[in-house]
Amino acid sequence: MYLPHLSREVFQPNWSSTSEAGLGSGLVVLDHERVVALDQAAHEAGVRIGMRKGGALTLAPDARIHDKDELKEQQAVADVATALMQFSPQVAIAEEQTVLVDVSASLRLFGGVRALRCAIRASLAAFGFTVRMSVAPTGQSAWLMARYRGGRRLSIRSLMRQLPRLPALLVLEARRYADWFDGLGCTSVADLRRLPRAGLKKRCGTALLDTLDRAVGEAPELYEWVQTPPSFNARIELPDRVEHAEAVLFVARRLIVQLTGWLASKQLALTRFSIELEHERGRAASPPTTIEVALAEPTWHEDHLTRLLKERLGRVELAAAVIAVRLEVNDVEAAEPPSDTLFPEPGGSAADHNRLMELLVARLGHENVLRAAPVADHRPEIVSNWVPVSSDVKGCPLPGDQPRPSWLLETPIQLITRQHRPFYGSPLRTVSPGERVEAGWWGGELVTRDYFVAEADDHTCYWIYRERVGSRIEEDPRWFLHGLFG
Amino acid sequence: MASARVNVVPCGSETLAAELPGGGWPKGALTDLLVQQPGAGEMRLLLPALKAVATRRIAFLQPPHRFQPEAAAYWGLPETSINVVRAQKTADALWAGEQILRSGTFGALIFWQSHVRPEALRRLHLAAQTSESLFFMVRPLAAASDTSPAPLRIAVRPARDSVSLEFLKRRGPARDEPLVVGLTHSPILLNRHASVDRRVSAAPQPRSLPAELVLHE
Repeated sequence: MYLPHLSREVFQPNWSSTSEAGLGSGLVVLDHERVVALDQAAHEAGVRIGMRKGGALTLAPDARIHDKDELKEQQAVADVATALMQFSPQVAIAEEQTVLVDVSASLRLFGGVRALRCAIRASLAAFGFTVRMSVAPTGQSAWLMARYRGGRRLSIRSLMRQLPRLPALLVLEARRYADWFDGLGCTSVADLRRLPRAGLKKRCGTALLDTLDRAVGEAPELYEWVQTPPSFNARIELPDRVEHAEAVLFVARRLIVQLTGWLASKQLALTRFSIELEHERGRAASPPTTIEVALAEPTWHEDHLTRLLKERLGRVELAAAVIAVRLEVNDVEAAEPPSDTLFPEPGGSAADHNRLMELLVARLGHENVLRAAPVADHRPEIVSNWVPVSSDVKGCPLPGDQPRPSWLLETPIQLITRQHRPFYGSPLRTVSPGERVEAGWWGGELVTRDYFVAEADDHTCYWIYRERVGSRIEEDPRWFLHGLFG
Repeated sequence: MASARVNVVPCGSETLAAELPGGGWPKGALTDLLVQQPGAGEMRLLLPALKAVATRRIAFLQPPHRFQPEAAAYWGLPETSINVVRAQKTADALWAGEQILRSGTFGALIFWQSHVRPEALRRLHLAAQTSESLFFMVRPLAAASDTSPAPLRIAVRPARDSVSLEFLKRRGPARDEPLVVGLTHSPILLNRHASVDRRVSAAPQPRSLPAELVLHE
C-alpha cells in the first residue's frame, strides 16, 4: 500500500475536499519554501510542484498554505498500518509512505486475493487517503510496483515479466548514483540487473544488489513487523471545525478502523470504550464531551461499532464546535473463537440478540428498552416494575394465582357514580369478589383499596377499585379505573 | 380454509384455526389487529401463540399502557421473556420495529401504533418477510378503512369471556359474519353462567322475631 498524496491528505482528507474546503481555494504544501504537493484547485490556478512560496502565493492567493508535517505523515502511516493488522498480523512500515502486509496466510480466510483487496480498500476508505495497492510474491517487488503504478502479479514468473520494465531509479539505493546510471544508459531494472555484479558491488555497495535480489526472491527478506501497543488511545485533529455531531462520524470511523486492527492483532474483543470530542478553545474553554459506550456482548466488528456510534452521536448535542476526536479503549476481554455449530440456531444467537438490544438502547436510550423486574409488594403499580435491560436488578418470582389486567394505567381515572354504581361508558357490574390491598403504610404512602373486576355492557372487563376511606368520614365511596384486561 | 405453504404458529383454538389461512397465526408477515381500545381481549387472543414462541423472546413496542408482569404470570407466560421498547417519535418506533424484525432474534413483535403511513407499513411488512417472527400491529378500529399491505386483518371486539373477530381481509373466501372465539384465563370469577344470582330475601313474617330484638319505643 503506497500513499502517494499523503503530504497533502494529512491536511485535507479526500472526503472533505469539495464540501468543506470550498471550491477554488486550493491547498499547497511547502517543504523548505518549495511546493511539494498541491490539490486540483491549486493546479488549475497554475501552481506547479517545485515552485517557490512567493510564486505559489501570486498564482493562488486564496490557497491555504501548510508546511510539510513529517510527524503527522509518520503518524498517518502508522495508523494505516494498525488498521491493516485486521487482515494479517505481519505488517511492516516501509520507506516512503508505504506499508507492506504479508497476506499469504490470510488469503483463504478472506476469500482470495480479489476479495481481500476489496476489503482492504473498503476499510482504508475511512482514512481519506489515496491508496495505491500492489500484490506481488515478494515484499520488495510489491514495494517497487506500488511505488510505480500498482498492479497484481501472483507468481514469480509473471513478476519477472513486469519487474524488468520498472524504471531503474525507482530502487531507493540506486538514486544516489542517478547521474552515473544515466550516463551508462541504465534506465530500467533489467539494465541494472545486466550490469556485472562484482563491479556494481564495488561502486554502489551491497545494499543495491541485496535489494534487487530480494525483489526477485533470490535473497531472504527480513522485516521488522509492527508491534501494537498494549493499550489503545488514538486522537485525530479535524481538518475543520465541525458543528454537528453526525459529521464527527467520518473521523470516528477512521478511529474505529484502527481500533479493529488493534483488536484483531491482540485477539481481543471490546467491551467498553469512550469517545471524547474536544471542543474549540474559545473565550470560555469547555470541557470535552465524552461519550461512553459499553457493550453487552464483546465485539470486534467494525460495522457494529460504527452503527452504535452513529446512533449515539445522533443524540449528542454539541456545546461548541469540535476540533479533535479521541478514542480510548477502557475495557477488553479475550475474543472467543467463532462457533462451529453445524446448524445455526433459529432466530440468531444470543450474541445477535445482545447486539440488537445494544443498538436499540443506543438510539432510544436506556430508559426506553425495558425488562420486567417485579417487586414483592401488594400495590400493583409497585409490582409491575420495569427496568432497563442493562441494569442488574433482579425480579422476584410472581405467584400468578390472581387474574390481573394486562394494562395498568399510570394514573388511575376517577369514575363517576350513577345510582351508586361506577360508570365508565356504561354502568359497570362487578364480576369478581373484592380483593383488599392495604399496603405502603411504612413508606408514608398508605394505599387502602378494594379491587374488583367490572364488566361493562359491551363485555369489556375493567379493573376498578374503591378507595376505602375511614368509616367516620361521611363521604360517597370513590371509584377508580386502574387496569384493562387485554 | 386452504392451507398454503404458510409458516404458522398454532392459535390455540380450533374454530379460529379453521378460519385462518394455514391454520394459525402467520410467521414472517404483518398481521393487523384492529381494536376499539386496548383491553378488548387482544392479548389473551394471542396468548397461545405467544406461549409457543416465548422461548425466543417477545417484544412489545410502544405499548399503550404499562404492561403488568403479574398478568403474564397468571397466563403462564414467563414475564422474563418480555421486553418493552418505547420510543419518543414515530420514526424511532418504526426504526426499532424494523431492526427487531430484521435481526429476527425475537419470536414475536407486537407493535401499537395509531397512525402509520402505508409506505411505512409496507417497509415493516418487507422486514417481517425476511424473518421468522410473529408480527402483529395493534391499531385503532378507525384504521380499518385505510389500505394496508397486511395479508391478514382482523377487527377484535370484546364479548363475554370471548372475543368477536371480524375478518376484514384474509387470503381465502371473505367471511362477513363475526367469529366468536372463546378465551382462557378469564378475569370473571363470579357466577360465570348465571350472571346475576339475586335471591329474594324472605318476606318478614310478623311476630317471627324474638321479643328482645324488637325495639320498643
